Amino acid sequence: MSAEIAIRVRGLTTRFGAQVVHEGLDLDVLRGEVLGVVGPSGSGKSVLLREIVGLDRATAGEIDFPAFSGRAPRMGVMFQDGALFSNLTVLENVEAPLREHVHLTPALRAEIAALKLSMAGLGPEAHHKKPAQISGGMRKRAAVARAIALDPELLFLDEPTAGLDPIAAEQFDRMVRELAKALGLTVFLVTHDLDTLYAVCDRVAVLYGREVAALGAVEDVAANASGWVKEYFCGPRGRAVQMNSAPGMGHGN
Amino acid sequence: MARATAFDLTQDGRTPVLALAGDWTIDTIADLEPALRSLSPAVGTEVEVSGLGRFDVAGAYLVVRTLGESRGASPIGVRGEHANAARLLQVVVSAITAPEPAPERPRGLSGILQQTGRAVAEISQEALETVSFLGETLTTLARLLVRPRRLRWVSIVHVMEQAGLNALPIVTLLSFFIGLVVAYLGARVLGDFGASVFTVELVAFSMLREFAVVITAVLLAGRTNSAFTAEIGAMKMRQEVDAMRVMGIAPMEALVAPRVLAMLVMTPLLTLAAMLAGLAGGLLVTWANLGVSPTMFFTRISDAVPEQHFWVGMVKAPVFALTLAIIGCKQGLSVGGDVGSLGRRVTASVVQSIFMVILLDALFALWFLEMDW
Repeated sequence: MSAEIAIRVRGLTTRFGAQVVHEGLDLDVLRGEVLGVVGPSGSGKSVLLREIVGLDRATAGEIDFPAFSGRAPRMGVMFQDGALFSNLTVLENVEAPLREHVHLTPALRAEIAALKLSMAGLGPEAHHKKPAQISGGMRKRAAVARAIALDPELLFLDEPTAGLDPIAAEQFDRMVRELAKALGLTVFLVTHDLDTLYAVCDRVAVLYGREVAALGAVEDVAANASGWVKEYFCGPRGRAVQMNSAPGMGHGN
Repeated sequence: MARATAFDLTQDGRTPVLALAGDWTIDTIADLEPALRSLSPAVGTEVEVSGLGRFDVAGAYLVVRTLGESRGASPIGVRGEHANAARLLQVVVSAITAPEPAPERPRGLSGILQQTGRAVAEISQEALETVSFLGETLTTLARLLVRPRRLRWVSIVHVMEQAGLNALPIVTLLSFFIGLVVAYLGARVLGDFGASVFTVELVAFSMLREFAVVITAVLLAGRTNSAFTAEIGAMKMRQEVDAMRVMGIAPMEALVAPRVLAMLVMTPLLTLAAMLAGLAGGLLVTWANLGVSPTMFFTRISDAVPEQHFWVGMVKAPVFALTLAIIGCKQGLSVGGDVGSLGRRVTASVVQSIFMVILLDALFALWFLEMDW
């Protein structure tokens, strides 16, 4: 993949009253990469995501999408708890963006929604269940299927593996990685999960102290870490993950 | 590059070839779909992708579906070069599933009958649940009466302010207007018989016996019941009620009892305020239209309207209060996991409580009439 910039953030400042979340934050997300965004709770990861997708407005600074030559890129967002519409079935949830944005026959719409669900790892038995009737892991998969319903160019995932058991989280990571590569997606992934970072992300950006404190391939960031970043990667949890993802086990380059 | 979205089924030697052209994305495939659906390519058809523009999963799906029946289990043969066509076709082939047919809904006459039957069964179930909830609430209150230290005074006072004091302006204002209207009607109709002086009695009778307490109860049903149901329902949805149970806090004591007690205290007080405001409305009209002075108005009331009418109205207030609080809390605790159920429960709460208020009032009227009170 060429190093086209999919998302360019420049001089971003976010203030809530007296509280400063970001100050002069710069970040480039390259087209076709999976970028993991980590940082301590309250460092403004989710706020940054909301600002990029246009839900919130930054106090100052610019966000644009140079790789898409002026037009707004198609985005899919998976929110932390899925944010599925609770009065619709799973299949209807995935059909919802299709219904709003493209004109397809109902049959074709349902077929495409079923395909997207299957790509996210949900079989037909879940199609006509309400979100409240399925497990948390299935809800997250349904939310991913809804996020990719319109074949987005940018996919945003907010804490995708939070609340999943390790095995489900690992399967979820693999699914995200496969989807991203197969569909050529650019993924902006907010997470706390070190396993996810090592398994899925091409690069990682660490938000700390109101700006991007470290940026690069996971191994490089972990190797050159200092301060909070060091504690994060080299604390007891970080070490265990690093050992497991030692030669051969990590993602191939 | 920007060729029209199209396809062409040709024959290359013995191999049939489906040549794709233009953009095949979710925005463009709608027009192709009917033509493709009627197409039935032979076994072993290959796909020519070099003329293809943009291509996405939806486009790939359409190709795979078209070749579906003839393909069997073998992979799709791809000819020509394209950035992502071969990869996407592979992704779709490995993921394809048909949508599960929606569960059958009963239609026609039998559907209507089934729905009616279910609705009736639900109503009786609901009635049973509400009555048992009433029993549960009463036993909780009795327990609290024995051990008053378990009462939650802060919540009680909070609900008294929210549901009682804050409703005072609207309750008095509306009763005042009702008093005005009744007095106007009386002055007009009774005037035809030359008995317009009895307007004072009409206003006093109707406000004291019926209107004040019914207006108060209906307003509270709309204002307070919806709030009770929404508050408790949201707590239920966010598992706060479960958290209470686990901590050993009984929701009946912490959520229901304070609301019931606060309503039991505040509804009679609001009813009293409504009675006074209604009389004030009547006074204004009789004074302005009929020249009855305030002194005369009140003298006439104390002479001609026995005290029992006040009590007939007042005794209904705590009954209505209990009915409202029970329905509001019960509906709140019945909220399920989804947003739709919250909406349905709030609606049910308001509708049921207004219905019960009017029904109980009718029963009271019958009873008092028979007792000649």
